[in-house]
Amino acid sequence: MELIADRITKQYKNKIAVDRMSFTLTKGVTGLLGANGAGKTTLMRLLCGVLAPDSGTVSCDGMSVGTEEYRDILGYLPQDFGFYPEFSGKDFLLYMSAVKGLTKKDAIQKTKELIELVGLGDSAGKKVRTYSGGMRQRLGIAQALLNDPQILIMDEPTAGLDPQERIRFRELISGLGKNKIVLLSTHIVSDLEHIADRLMIMKDGQLRWQGNRSAGGEDLEAFYISQIGEKR
Amino acid sequence: MDNDRIIKLLKEICSTPEPEEKKAFFQGLEDQGLISRRPVVINHGDFLLRQFFYVGKWIWLLSAVLLLCIMGICYGNTGNYPFALTPLLAVEILVETGRSSRWKMAELEYTARFSLRSVMLARIFLVGIVETAGLLVVIWVVRPWFSYSLIRVFLYMMVPYLAASLLGSVYERKNRSDNNWGSIIICFLSSGLFAAAPYYLSSLYEERFTVIWTVVFILLVFSLVVSMRRWICELEEAVWN
Repeated sequence: MELIADRITKQYKNKIAVDRMSFTLTKGVTGLLGANGAGKTTLMRLLCGVLAPDSGTVSCDGMSVGTEEYRDILGYLPQDFGFYPEFSGKDFLLYMSAVKGLTKKDAIQKTKELIELVGLGDSAGKKVRTYSGGMRQRLGIAQALLNDPQILIMDEPTAGLDPQERIRFRELISGLGKNKIVLLSTHIVSDLEHIADRLMIMKDGQLRWQGNRSAGGEDLEAFYISQIGEKR
Repeated sequence: MDNDRIIKLLKEICSTPEPEEKKAFFQGLEDQGLISRRPVVINHGDFLLRQFFYVGKWIWLLSAVLLLCIMGICYGNTGNYPFALTPLLAVEILVETGRSSRWKMAELEYTARFSLRSVMLARIFLVGIVETAGLLVVIWVVRPWFSYSLIRVFLYMMVPYLAASLLGSVYERKNRSDNNWGSIIICFLSSGLFAAAPYYLSSLYEERFTVIWTVVFILLVFSLVVSMRRWICELEEAVWN
């Protein structure tokens, strides 16, 4: 399975958010690094079909992005998302299961599994509005996994997680990356140090570097800074 | 032999036979890891049914209260102003359609199998159908309290409701925002206008204008369908651009 982006461009008025980017993602964890405003979120939205590119194409094994069959194999965690106020954590996952097309039986089963997986077993019945930022983020991660996606795209998934939760998240993602295309964006280099198989570095809407994680050497932060051309 | 018979025979001869081992073939591909698809997904009917439980409870409650209010105000009133309350029912549909973006759920819903369009369509359909059914019951109940025929009571109640829904949907389509205050104000203004109409244009409620009301009703239904369709089509790209 390959997710192919071919010269995709997205422009907002005078700013080019993503500039003629081409790459191929295969199974494994790919980390997308870039400072705030580099164009990571726009790129992720283009890959999910949330935004239509001004030019270029995104496809996966012949499926065009945005089609029902593509969305069927997609799991997405946006950077900024909310919840209906009346929902408990469990209600939220059951609702997302319905929108993702899971049968009632599968929805109940998956919800139960994922709530335990992200460590929200004790809070599943509580209203989401009472959750902390980290708990909401974990719930967001759980919803992205509901449909057992082949492509998992996560925008700043570690935002709001405490150190313990970050470690748990890394373990989870490492496991998932074995048989899925996982793309996660962050501006925190240490999030990717131990889990990314490949790296993509973005600056000003352009892909500055892409390659295997090992090519980045031991000090990934130094490598990242050298690629974006900034002094330490 | 006539043409129909020839066509039928040719269809029988040329038609492609049904695949006999389709299921086994795809299962084989899955077993070999050549395709990997989630086996069971719900259809649009099941999706619609399940969405029923996710429409805000206060929407149903407010609709019931409004319908009861309309019935109560109609009771013992011979004037035409009770008909002007129906635009307030349109508020619920318009508010419900803005719920996803108001609570920042739209992006999540958009990337799911059934997508934001299906979610919106399901909500509009469900709230619209339940409200219309409720309104039809109210029309049937209150009809004896007026000196008009059933069709006239129907038109006098449905036209304000549809007019407010149309104006509200056009406003929402052109002025996208996270709240629905604009369309709520439109519904209240429509209600006010239709409440004032019997005093300033009392002749409108005379029997000779029934044809005009009927034409307006048909035009409103048609325009509302067109407007909603455009709204839904523009919805997803508009949310993000």
